[in-house]
Amino acid sequence: MIETLMYAFADVFAPWNLALMTIGVTAGLIAGAIPGFTIAMAVVLTLPFTFGLSPVEGLSTMIGVFVGGLSGGLMSGMLTGIPGTPSSIATTFDGFPMARNGKPGLALGLGVWSSFFGGIFSAVLLVTLAPRLAVIGLEFGPWDYFSLVLFALTITASLSGENLVKGMIAGALGLFIATIGEDEVNGVARFSFGIDDLESGFTFLPVLIGLFAFSQLLSDLQDRVKARQPLMDASGADARIRIEHLKAIRMVFARWTNLLRSSVIGVFTGVLPAAGGSISNILAYDQAKKASKTPEKFGTGTPDGIIAPESANNATAGGALITMMALGIPGDIITAVMLGALLIHNVQPSPTFISDNPDLAYAIFVAFFLAHFIMIAMQSVTLRLFVMVTRIPMYVLASVILAYCAIGVFALNNITYDIWVLFFFGIIGYVMRQLGFPLAPIILGVVLGHVAELNLSRSLAIDSDLMLFLTRPWSLFFLLVSVFSIGFPWYQKARTTKAWTLAYIPVLLAAVSVPLFMMEGFVRPIIGVALLALSAYLLWRSAASGWKVAPTGDHEVHLEET
Amino acid sequence: MARLNRDTLIALLLLVFCGVMISASLDIEETNYGTMQSSVWPQVVLGVLTVFCLAMLGQSVLKPSVVKTENGAGSRGLGRYRNAITVYVLFFLFLVTLPYLGMLLGGIGFVFLALTLLGEPELKRVPLHLAIAVGTVGLMWSIFTFGLGVLLPDGELLQLN
Repeated sequence: MIETLMYAFADVFAPWNLALMTIGVTAGLIAGAIPGFTIAMAVVLTLPFTFGLSPVEGLSTMIGVFVGGLSGGLMSGMLTGIPGTPSSIATTFDGFPMARNGKPGLALGLGVWSSFFGGIFSAVLLVTLAPRLAVIGLEFGPWDYFSLVLFALTITASLSGENLVKGMIAGALGLFIATIGEDEVNGVARFSFGIDDLESGFTFLPVLIGLFAFSQLLSDLQDRVKARQPLMDASGADARIRIEHLKAIRMVFARWTNLLRSSVIGVFTGVLPAAGGSISNILAYDQAKKASKTPEKFGTGTPDGIIAPESANNATAGGALITMMALGIPGDIITAVMLGALLIHNVQPSPTFISDNPDLAYAIFVAFFLAHFIMIAMQSVTLRLFVMVTRIPMYVLASVILAYCAIGVFALNNITYDIWVLFFFGIIGYVMRQLGFPLAPIILGVVLGHVAELNLSRSLAIDSDLMLFLTRPWSLFFLLVSVFSIGFPWYQKARTTKAWTLAYIPVLLAAVSVPLFMMEGFVRPIIGVALLALSAYLLWRSAASGWKVAPTGDHEVHLEET
Repeated sequence: MARLNRDTLIALLLLVFCGVMISASLDIEETNYGTMQSSVWPQVVLGVLTVFCLAMLGQSVLKPSVVKTENGAGSRGLGRYRNAITVYVLFFLFLVTLPYLGMLLGGIGFVFLALTLLGEPELKRVPLHLAIAVGTVGLMWSIFTFGLGVLLPDGELLQLN
């Protein structure tokens, strides 16, 4: 392991790689700071540049954009009151008032250092947990892997928007798109309608850029008046602000319990497929407020209100990478793009990824650590760039990026057909956005469609008995959580008004304890007993209080494009 | 007669799409090898998609969503999609003319026209838009051609590679 780590250090600390990461972090910081320009879009647009790079260079650059983007949102949120990304929404609640109260340097310092420590915490967990989770992943047979894909899709669909059915339709459409072209198992052309180009199917990148980036840009241009105005009014933002680093570090350490709790929330939100920084920052803020002795100060510019969301959203990145690297399942659009990048370099993401490609896996770990240090160094520089970029009108930015999309997509296979695919899916993505369909499930469907089909085929080749999907513990586990994830939107809507919601979590815990009892060894059945006991305790508590639901001030959880 | 709900219409269109694709899936070649035929997975997916579309149809009929009325939406109609339609038309023209103009000239043309049609309709901005188009597309073309070694398509009009 030490030897692998040394190789990884040598790769990541190579001067060219450092330069690429610095550019990536800077681009991420700027992209994250511009409202409407999401981190996912920045990562998507980075992908074409990575074709000509080695896997380590490409992935390091994308990680740089990812980490920079998560921290960039705080700049605009604190200085203008408009969060740059959904993952910085809660930061604005206290960051903006603190900046308005004459302490913009301290507010930025708290945000930057909370992001840093949250990210480093998740990086430590990434290095320690991902290989262990991957060992569990090695137990998975094709039945379990198929059910895991199903779970990733159902939870993404249920968290992606207000209409569960539209989310499910989007996920199924994604799976269908992945079936077009030559089938990987038997080599038979499907849905080609006699068009030669369609026989090779759709390459992931043009579909992704079309569905996501192209349609997003068009949506940003929709308002003709707004499209001609500068990106945002940053007149209140002074580029000469000095970030108060030392004072901020001291304040963050003085509130270490908040930092730790929020980072843990961030990591575990990230581990969960579909849940990203847009959810974790609000959850962490809520928990920090509940745990505070002075909750009334939240919203007025209290440091705890900045530390919680910023540490949580950066920690989410580490959590999402844990799932991606250990199980080969993307947690969100960003990790889906990273999986796409791995596929472009002929690296197949799967539970064996870390053991099969240790050099690349450890390089990702090291790059994730390093990106946070670069982020700290670049924050002051990008503050000036951010103020400059905000003066550009959206129509200029969008027109140039659209041309870049065409060039970038062509670079993948050197064929014009890919640009037509981009154009076609750009229209589909735009129409779907307009009709209220979430795009995250369709993208995950496209990425995971082949994985699902391949594993279904393998499972049937081994044994045609479909009951194995229910009798194998891990498969049953994922199917059960899939069912509960489908019910989650109803639970969320009714939890402050309907008594049945009091039974939702206890029943979920009891249900998932069943596959744990079916597993071998002592530890997992013991966890099963613990879950069952917790379930019984929660039911007893609800019964003792007469099944009364208490309204809470929690925010509703919805996945937004980070 | 009540107007057809938007979601109802979408659900019906999606159901037609499912029907066409299920029909097309019946034409997928059957092989005498492999345990799972190539048509099975698409049919499973289309079956699931059909069920969800039916659920959407039922939902839209039983509980129609409140249609948000936007200011002046009626008078604007397709006008609110003007920018999007403009960009799609320009992009389509860029693709059609790609064999003649190539990526460099076509890209410059696309960016210049997009800037001019989407931006303020002032004559004094035209040179600025042209400068932005030449500068940005030229830079991107150079990075991909010389930096990343990508052979971007030449047109009949200008052969650079």
